[in-house]
Amino acid sequence: MPMTKDEVFAKVKEVLTTALAVDDDEVTPEARLSEDLGAESIDYLDITFQLEKAFGIKIPKGELIPENLFTNPEFVQNGKMTPAGLAELKSKMSFADLSKFEADPDINKFRDIFTVDTLVAYVMTKVNA
Amino acid sequence: MAKNVTMAEEYLGDHFPGFPVLPGVMMLEAAIQTAAWLVRQTTGFGHSLIVLKEARGVRYGSFVAPGQTLTITADAVEISASRSDFKVKGMVGESQAITARLELVHLNLVDTDAALSNIDTIAITAQKERWQTFTQRSAVPALG
Amino acid sequence: MRWIWIDKFEKFEVNVAAVALKNVSLAEDHLHDHFPGFPVMPASLMIEGMAQTSGILVGAAREFKEKVILAKIGKASFVRLVRPGEQLVYAAKIVNVTEQGAAIEGTITVRTMVAGQRVELPVGQIDMMFSHIDNNMAGTKFPEFNFVFNSQFMDLFETYRRELNIELPA
Repeated sequence: MPMTKDEVFAKVKEVLTTALAVDDDEVTPEARLSEDLGAESIDYLDITFQLEKAFGIKIPKGELIPENLFTNPEFVQNGKMTPAGLAELKSKMSFADLSKFEADPDINKFRDIFTVDTLVAYVMTKVNA
Repeated sequence: MAKNVTMAEEYLGDHFPGFPVLPGVMMLEAAIQTAAWLVRQTTGFGHSLIVLKEARGVRYGSFVAPGQTLTITADAVEISASRSDFKVKGMVGESQAITARLELVHLNLVDTDAALSNIDTIAITAQKERWQTFTQRSAVPALG
Repeated sequence: MRWIWIDKFEKFEVNVAAVALKNVSLAEDHLHDHFPGFPVMPASLMIEGMAQTSGILVGAAREFKEKVILAKIGKASFVRLVRPGEQLVYAAKIVNVTEQGAAIEGTITVRTMVAGQRVELPVGQIDMMFSHIDNNMAGTKFPEFNFVFNSQFMDLFETYRRELNIELPA
């Protein structure tokens, strides 16, 4: 069922304020889930469950948060993602804006990719498919 | 406030056999108690019962094992006469074991039943005594 | 103190829902500190009762093969104090179970007497999440063997299984 970006953002905001116990006004498009909104490991799973319910979509394992990228020595060397790794990441996360991560592919900064906007972009691909 | 975890805590035998760790709800209870002591200090021990009304966003980050110390920090968002709000955090060294938001309510039995005011007194007196043991700063006597 | 905060299962439907009971008793040491003169069941231990009820429900959904660990309490809210002599009822419902973990919705009520009548009254509501740590907690050290669903627990569960005729998935 097609939705506008604003409609998706509004619902994503609801999910995040509930899942992360944060205030409405903290959920801005650029807010990073971990760094700014305090999201921890379990919260990503909670958010996945709640997005599925809120939008009536299925989020298969690895589709929102790609897996097996960090354990592959072709993709990660000395704590940084290689060009091969970045290419793989781009193909798996075509919905996301990876420019900041590409500029500094330090794998410790990987979670910073996940902003509210990233979630909105992902949901847009699912509801407007 | 700090909580030492020790094998002398018998329930650890069940949690878990072969892998003793502080149960998550005990971390939560430590946080609730820390916040409650702050309420008592702020309101001058004005209530016999301080209990949890609501906990939100409680997330567990790491295990706490015997031999380790859990340090709870409770930041008051608001403390009024009958209720209070807190942001709490529990650390083991550099690791965050628990984070949560708590809402407590402060009660006196006399408010629902005038006949129970002496029970309020019993509870409050016991809590004042407990506070004494926490805050004693006298030097430990030498053994000679 | 034993770390067993439920006394018996009343209902158990694998992958769906469970109901467990807990009797509140003055034989429980901790009540004497909470509070002196007016013992009430601590909220944290009611949360544990719900965690044990739902942890077992979640465990059974994957044949007790996972290490089911309480990872998050989205919200736990309480509306009534519970006293010795009363019986707590923990009703847990599975919202979602995957390889990574599970989400549960729970309702707590209390069976008690009011004006000579047996009643069941609302006590609280809890949303909680479990992590299947074998699949999830990269970097944390914990043993290989299943310390959560250990033999001590499985023996106890066997008695419930037989009494309630619980069929575990093959």
